[in-house]
Formats: sequence, structure tokens, C-alpha cells
Amino acid sequence: MTGPGAWPVPGADRALERARIGRSAPRPDGPAKVAGTFPYANDLRVPGMLHARTLRSPHPHARVRRIDATAARAMPGVAAVVTAADVPGVPTYGLIHPDQPVFAPVGGVARYVGEPVAAVAAVDGRTARRALAAIEVEYEPLEPLTDPRRAADPRTPPIHPNGNIYRELTLRHGDPGARGPVEVVDSYLVGQQDQAFLACEAALALPAADGGVDLMLATQWLHSDRDQMAACLGLPEEKVRLTLAGVGGAFGGREDVTLQIHGALLALATGSPVRIAYDREESFLAHPHRHPARMWFRHSATRDGDLIAVAARIVMDGGAYASSSPAVIANAVTHAAGPYRVPNVRVDGVVVRTNNPPCGAMRGFGVPQVTIGHEAQMDRLATALGMDPVALRLRNAIGPGDLLPTGQAVPPPLPVREVIEAVAAAPAPPPATAATPARDRPGGRGAQADPARIRRGTGYGVGVKNLMFSEGFDDSATARVVLELDRDGQPRAVVHTACAEVGQGFVTIAGQIARTELGLDAVVLAPADTAVASAGSTSASRQTWMSGGAVRKASVAAVDEVLRRVAASLRLPPAAAATPRRLLTLADGAVTGPEAGVSVGLADVLAAGGPVDVTETFRHRPTHPMDAFGQGDCHVAYACAAHRAVVDVDLDTGLVRVVELTLAQDVGTMLNPLSVLGQVEGGTAQGLGLALMEELVVTDGMVINTTFHDYLLPTAADVPPLRLIPIEQPAPEAPYGVKGIGEAPTGTATPAIVAAIRDAVGRDLRRVPVRPADLVLPPDPTVYLAPPDEDPEPQGPAEPAARDGMGLSDATPGAGTPPGPDQPPAPGASP
Amino acid sequence: MTGVATMRRPRSLSEAIDTLAASPGADLLAGGTDLVPALRTGARPVREMISLRRIVELRARGAAGDWLTIGACATYADLAGWSLAPGLAATARSVGSPQIRNTGTVGGALGTASPRGDLLTFLVAADAGVVVTGPVGQRQLGIGRFLADRHGPDELVTAVKLARPCGPQTYLKIGARQTASIPVASCALVVDRVRRLVRCAIGGVASRPVRALAAEDHVAETADWSTGALPPDAAHRFGELVAEAVTTAPDVAGDDVYAPAAYRSHAAGVLARRAAARCLAGARGADARRP
Repeated sequence: MTGPGAWPVPGADRALERARIGRSAPRPDGPAKVAGTFPYANDLRVPGMLHARTLRSPHPHARVRRIDATAARAMPGVAAVVTAADVPGVPTYGLIHPDQPVFAPVGGVARYVGEPVAAVAAVDGRTARRALAAIEVEYEPLEPLTDPRRAADPRTPPIHPNGNIYRELTLRHGDPGARGPVEVVDSYLVGQQDQAFLACEAALALPAADGGVDLMLATQWLHSDRDQMAACLGLPEEKVRLTLAGVGGAFGGREDVTLQIHGALLALATGSPVRIAYDREESFLAHPHRHPARMWFRHSATRDGDLIAVAARIVMDGGAYASSSPAVIANAVTHAAGPYRVPNVRVDGVVVRTNNPPCGAMRGFGVPQVTIGHEAQMDRLATALGMDPVALRLRNAIGPGDLLPTGQAVPPPLPVREVIEAVAAAPAPPPATAATPARDRPGGRGAQADPARIRRGTGYGVGVKNLMFSEGFDDSATARVVLELDRDGQPRAVVHTACAEVGQGFVTIAGQIARTELGLDAVVLAPADTAVASAGSTSASRQTWMSGGAVRKASVAAVDEVLRRVAASLRLPPAAAATPRRLLTLADGAVTGPEAGVSVGLADVLAAGGPVDVTETFRHRPTHPMDAFGQGDCHVAYACAAHRAVVDVDLDTGLVRVVELTLAQDVGTMLNPLSVLGQVEGGTAQGLGLALMEELVVTDGMVINTTFHDYLLPTAADVPPLRLIPIEQPAPEAPYGVKGIGEAPTGTATPAIVAAIRDAVGRDLRRVPVRPADLVLPPDPTVYLAPPDEDPEPQGPAEPAARDGMGLSDATPGAGTPPGPDQPPAPGASP
Repeated sequence: MTGVATMRRPRSLSEAIDTLAASPGADLLAGGTDLVPALRTGARPVREMISLRRIVELRARGAAGDWLTIGACATYADLAGWSLAPGLAATARSVGSPQIRNTGTVGGALGTASPRGDLLTFLVAADAGVVVTGPVGQRQLGIGRFLADRHGPDELVTAVKLARPCGPQTYLKIGARQTASIPVASCALVVDRVRRLVRCAIGGVASRPVRALAAEDHVAETADWSTGALPPDAAHRFGELVAEAVTTAPDVAGDDVYAPAAYRSHAAGVLARRAAARCLAGARGADARRP
């Protein structure tokens, strides 16, 4: 076990800066970020640049009758106003389905509060803002559709030509009607979380002499942005060039296009550089959020505690445009049973279009929501069985070779049992006493909690998260490695990828991989841009595996080329020259071959033969789409994690203090232990935020809390130190055996904290975030009640059959309902 | 914040009064914790500004006779350790983050008069006087009158006056982020063992701090003033009466993103009970207890 004190302190050991894989090399950009000198995209300035601002619809649903920008265009200092009429290419864009207009057009419909209608470029921000006020827009307000359950109703009129349902998924595994003697049924609600990256969206757009545009921006996937921009701008892709600027966090919130096309349109319209940057309020409106979810679960088990069946229905609100909703619901559905061996699973998931803010990718991508549900259910089941919650989880822990609800066998390794055992065995923190200072009690010094009224609770959250893209997506990452001589004649390697460094640490890892493979300390990372092929998205826990794999592959190819050149110069026999690695080694800047009696400096090789320049593309093993019953080999790999949370709750005020968090995580091979710790600390804090405070409150389609004053992020006052217990089991299919690590702990921190609060106060908590009022006021039944054909009312384990509902296909209440007449038995079913 | 019209930086109070007289209604800049964000977001138009930061006399605080006087530009950090005013110090310590406490001022709290302002709530419980100065000179207003009428466009708040504590006082608060955030509900309690009365104000629940008069009277009648002790059931009743006062306040806040109204009144009652337990425990006599 490793406590926080056991991790190396960056800077303490200068040699670490050139460390190879496995050691805690410090971030090359760390000192600048700490000192405040790191240039983020928001900091980019060029002489003569214009400032852009975006006009947004104030209505959740309205037809745009007329836009008159004459007065705005005539204002001194205003260089251009662009609207839908100025979009030369395709009028819409989107990550998966291009269903979102660049600007809501005249005659068209604006579908959420904050939908862009026009954009202005002016000599300064204030003039641009005044120009926005001068644009006359006539709206015809339409009735907003804000209830996702109403959106799922086929009788509800569509609010978009593509309809109101982004995707509906059915998963049937084993006998969908199987039931057990012990059942727990309940429904849960998860609020809307925002990625809340610290540096708001920003880009600098530069018109180019060839009629194209160069964009320096903060994003997660340069090539996806480029493709969407090129289509809307009506330009060939090679005329849209993107370079990654400093990114201050992403968490999924930069996967979608926001300001890219607007900035480029204005730069092209004015012929001037244009800076487009959002403030926090605009950022909250502009990027898609985490999907709010309403979930119904029924867990059945034997009296010994073996899970027999899990049934679930998941309704997610995708908001006004598709973004990545279709992929998010697939993750939610396929992960709904959690990291447990369940022979019979049926899940119905739907993600719908409403006039609420669009939802898309956020750390965990549909999995945190269902993890909150299945972990609450496991605790309820343990109570119903009179079992220890840890014992119940261990008894049902899934392992390599077991079948997942998709019918896919768990690819090894997946140490679910080990992560649960590790957190359960960790020492418990000392109890709170009357001597605990007020500042360490719930509510801090201000609340002066009465020690006699503080209750301690312990909770567990276990989860599994898929790694990388799924469902047959052809996922690739490309890296270019150039070995050359620097100006001093010393050999160096330049590593070039389009991988977006968003804070996750690829700039550190890429250097470590290249240094390891090339046997060379001098490794330089070229800026990420679209001059090299796509690295794919910095999301889905994939970049260390994918772009790391590409850097490794290109580095290996570069070494092979060097050895080939040396072998050729030595006039070795053809057999030996064909496999030079058998004779020669490149290490510490020299090619040596003791058997062949060779020692040649790399500098000499490069001086003689010129630079070595190789580009390689890495792919993971292919996945496959799911069939009509949610069966198929759809995910590449999985990682699991378990959190134990210990909380103190003030029973009088409902204030919560998280006293301790322990995380055991399946980390594959740690290429950089410090980087692993940084990732899981951040993921844990984000999960804590969802458990206790982070919620975008949306009323009638309006986001109410668009500042950090009102949208509360956890701070150092709220997040205790994290104890990490890494479980290192190399993944055989991955480069070096790595696993992505950023997402899994976000999903498990939330349910662990909620479980700990339940343990402390003895209330069934069905809504996340848990607010102080939920712990002290009488439960408000209307929060959880819903129409009987939609959501069942919450209740305990009694009479499960009568409460089966949420409009599932089974019309007949009762146990053992077989699949409907038009449903063949699910393929890949296990008894 | 580009294009500031003008920024005047007087070096003395008299110069500030003259400057303000020349441009009445100009924005006054002290700590800037409210003004600067409002200018940045465009919530307030940029116009003439008068910076009060160079006026040393406005930062003074001191005690004379029965009164404590606090200059309008005293920061929360200036007050956080002031032993002569334990309740004020407790309030100052509970405000925001260290950065906010280092720059936010007493005058700013009164100028903004946010219903959630920590300091405002304590000043209401302390029945503070507000000194405003204009071209015709100084005048002192009770805090209640100040909040109702405010001051003229050519006047500025120059000081706050508090009676020297004659008993324990405290300020308790519920706010997100372990109270680093603005209060969802707060309770200031000032005990006057000489006059045998208490004053209690609840913040964060209505458009201005709510005085719980019935609850105050209940304590005045039931406390044992020879020891300063309140029987436990009386403390409990005090909490109930405070919660009632919040529920029946004329312009009580409704449900919002911070909390439902029902939670606010509940929390106010809990805090009031706790405050009473801290300040009216007896035995400790008239010593002001610091939280």
C-alpha cells in the first residue's frame, strides 16, 4: 500500500526530468503552470487582432423570425457580424450527427438557452459587446420541451427534424425474466454536472494567404474539430490548420465544437486575426454537460447473496443537440450491472432531445450515473440479505473470463476482487471526538457542529469503466519521430503527434516512452497540430494506450532504421542485416554490437545518412457493434476501481465533511506513478463534487447558476487527502501493459460518498448531489414520484412485482415474465 | 474592463468628499470584491471611479469610551484578530477566502449591503451605527435606518460604530465549502449582560438581516442574568422562535439554488440554539468567547 507521503516530490531529483518509463518524471510544463507563466489559449494575443463575441438565444425554444444587424455593422469599431446566412458550407455540425446549426438561422429554430445566433468581431471586447446589443433579433417563443420523459413519449411532437430520440438501446442477456427470492427495487436521480475546466474556451483565428484559416485553440481532438470546421466553412481540410494552444482542463467539455467555426468565419470575413474567448458564464452555456439521468433498478439475488438478475431502465436527457449522446447511452446501458457477475440482465436505455442545455462527454461518459445506481442497489441488497456490503460485492465480483452483460468475456486483467479487498483492508481513520477542532467538523468553523450530534458513516463504491472507443469505431493514433542532429551536432529526437495535452500528462509520458525506446535523453515534443495525422480524441482513457502506443511504435521503427543503416554500413551478411536488433543495440546515443565489434555514435549515423524520419499509426484490436439485444464484443478493455469513503455528518444541519477517501485502482502498468496519483486525485475530487455540490440547476430550460459563485466546485476545504492503492496488473494487449486511469475513480467516488452518508444518517438517498436539506427536512415525495407508466415510485424491497414499471415491455406484473413474443432469446446468453 | 472613464485617487477624506461632490454617484472602489467582478461581466457600466485605497484615515480602528470605531476601509483581515470585538472578529474570520479577507472592507459590505453579507448580519445584531460623511459634514445613522434609506449620492460611509461588548457574542454560519462560501443561513448573537438583553440577527434568509425580536425577548425573560445562563429548554425555544421569525419575515427568500426556504428557517433555528449555548452557558461569566 502506498500513502501520499510515499510519492516522490517533483524537482527533488533533477535526474527524474529525464526519467524513462516507470518513474515519476515531473511534468515539463509544471513549473510554468504553478508560476502562472504557462500560456493558455486565453493568453494568446497578436497585434491588430479583433475581439469576437457571440449572440445567444435567451429562449429555450423559439423560432427566429428576423435578424437585423444593420445597426451593429454600422457601429464604429465593428469589423464584421456573421449569422447563419454567412456560413458558406454545411450549416450544421456535430460530433456524431451533424444536427447542430452553426447559428440558428432566420426561419429556423433555436433550441436551447445559449444557442448561438450571431457573432461579432470588433476592435475590442466592449465594442463587440455593445454591437451584440445592437443586433435586433425577433423571436417567436415556442413551447419548450424540458421533461425528458415527455420527450421519450412518441406522441410528443418532435422539436428537431431528426426527432426527439437520439438513441434507444435494449440489452437482453440470459433469461430477461429471471427473478430471485430477494429483490430490491428503486429509482435514482442524477443531476447535471459541468466539466468546469478552469480555463474557459478560447481560440485565436488567423486568416491565411491561401484562403484558408489557421486556428490556435484549446481542444481535445484537433482533427475532429478540423473536419467539422472545414465542412461548415466550405474549405478543403488542408486549408484548415489547427494548432493546440495551452489547454486548461477539458474533462470531455472540449470534445464538441463551440467557438471554432465562429472564430474562423470572422477571421475569414475580416481578413484579420480574431481572438474569440468565453467568460465563465458563456462557457457554462456553450459546451455540453454531463447527462442528467433518471434510473430505475431491480436487483434480484439468492438468499445466499448470489446475483440472479439485474433489470434497469435509464432515461437520459441529451438536451437540444446530439453531441455524443448516442455513445453515452451505450456506455450507461452496457455498464448498468456494474463490476458484478450477473447471469440475467435486461436494460432499456433511452437518451432524448429536449430544450435543455446539450449534454455530451464528461469524464466517465455515462458510467458514473449508472454506478451511482448499481452501487446504491448493492448496499440495499446487502441490507435486505443481512450481509456485509463488502462481502456481497466480493461474492459477486466479476473477473477475467466471466461474461459481461454484453455477452463479452471480461478481457484480462480485471482485478475487481483485489480492489475491493484493498480498500476494505485499509486502516480506518480515527473517530471524531469532542476534541476534534470545529474547522475539521462538518460545516467547518462557521457552523460549530455539536460533537454529540455528528455521526460517522463508511461507504463503498465499486465500478468498472471501458477504455477507449467502442462499438466498432476505427480508432487510430499516429506519431512521427524524427532523429536528427541539433545545432551543436548532438543527436536529438523530435516527437510529433496531434495528441491534445489537456492536463492529463501526455507530454510527460510521451517523453518517457521516447527516451526509453530511443535510449536518448534529448527528446523534444513538437507542438500538437494537424500537420501530422490524427491522434484521436483525448478522452475515453485512451491517449496513453493509443498515442503512447504510436510514439512507442514510431520510436521502435526509428531505432530499426538506425540499426539498419549501421548494419548496411558494416556489410553484414544479409541474414544478419535483416534482423539487426539481434546484433546491435542503440543506447545512450551510440549503436553498439559487442559480437560484431561495433560501436558507432548515433550522431555519426545521422551525419552520414541524414535524419531518420518515421511515422507510425497505432490501432487497438477491433471492436464490434452490438446487436439488437445489446450483445457483442463492443468494448476494447476495462479498468476497475473501488473507493471507500468515510464521512462525518452533522445531524442537525445536514452538513457533510468527507473525512477520508481511499482508492484502490486497476492501473495496468504505471508509466509514471506521480502522474497516476494526479489523475486519480482529480477524478476523485470531481466525483466528490457530483456527490455533494456540483449541479447545474436548470429551470424551464434556463441554467440558473452560471458562475462559480453559484455552481460550487470542491476546494481544498472539501477534499481530504487521497490514499491510493494501485493494483498493478499489466494489460497484455496494451503498450507496456498500461490502462487508462482518469475516468474510473470519478465514477466510484460519488457512490462511495453517498453510501457513507446513507450509513451515517440512515436515510435512503435517491438523488445526487446530496444536499444538506435532503438530510434534515422531511423527504419530499414529489421528487421521486412519477407517472406509473413511466417511473415507479420508490419503495423498499417489499412487493417488487407490483412495482415493476417505467413502461418496460412486460405488461404482466409478476415473476418470470418471458421475453415478449417478438423477442427471440438473446444470443450469447448464459444460464 | 477596457476604457475606464477616469479613476480618481484622493489621498485624504476631505479630498474624497470634494471629489465625490464634483461627480456624485461615482463608483467607490475600496476592496473591489463586488465592484470589479460587476465591471468585468458588464453587470455595471464603467463610469467614473473614486479609489479610496490611499486614504489612510479610513483604515483606522480604535476604542474610545464605550464605543469602538472602525474605519470604512478596514479589511476583514484587519478585524479577524481584534480582541476588543470578538463577535466582529468571528464574523470577519468566516468571510470567504484569505484573498477576500485581505481586500474586502467594512465600507464595501455596507455599500453593497448584500442580504447574504456576513458583516451586515453581525452589524444588525450589534445595533451598529453607520457614520456617513458628505459636504455638510458627518452624521450617524442606526444600521436599520441606513439599510432603509441608504445615504446621499454625495456622501460616503466613513466608519462604523459599535458599543463595546458587554457580554459574549458570536457569529455562526452555514455555507457551502465548509463555510468558505457565502451563507445559506447565518446567525449573529450579541449578549448584553449589563442591560440584560440579547440581540439576534439572521442573515441569508431575506432581503436584509432579520431580527428575531420575539426570540430575543424570550431570552431576556428566561435567562438567569446573575450567571448569564439560559436553561436548556429555553435555548431550545429560542431556536424555535428564531426559525419562526425567519418563516414569517416580510420578504423571506424562496427556494433557490443554495437551499429550499424550509432548510433556511430550520438551519437558522439550529444556529440560534448553538449560538445561545455558546454565549449563554453561564459559568464563564461575561467573558466573550471566541469561536
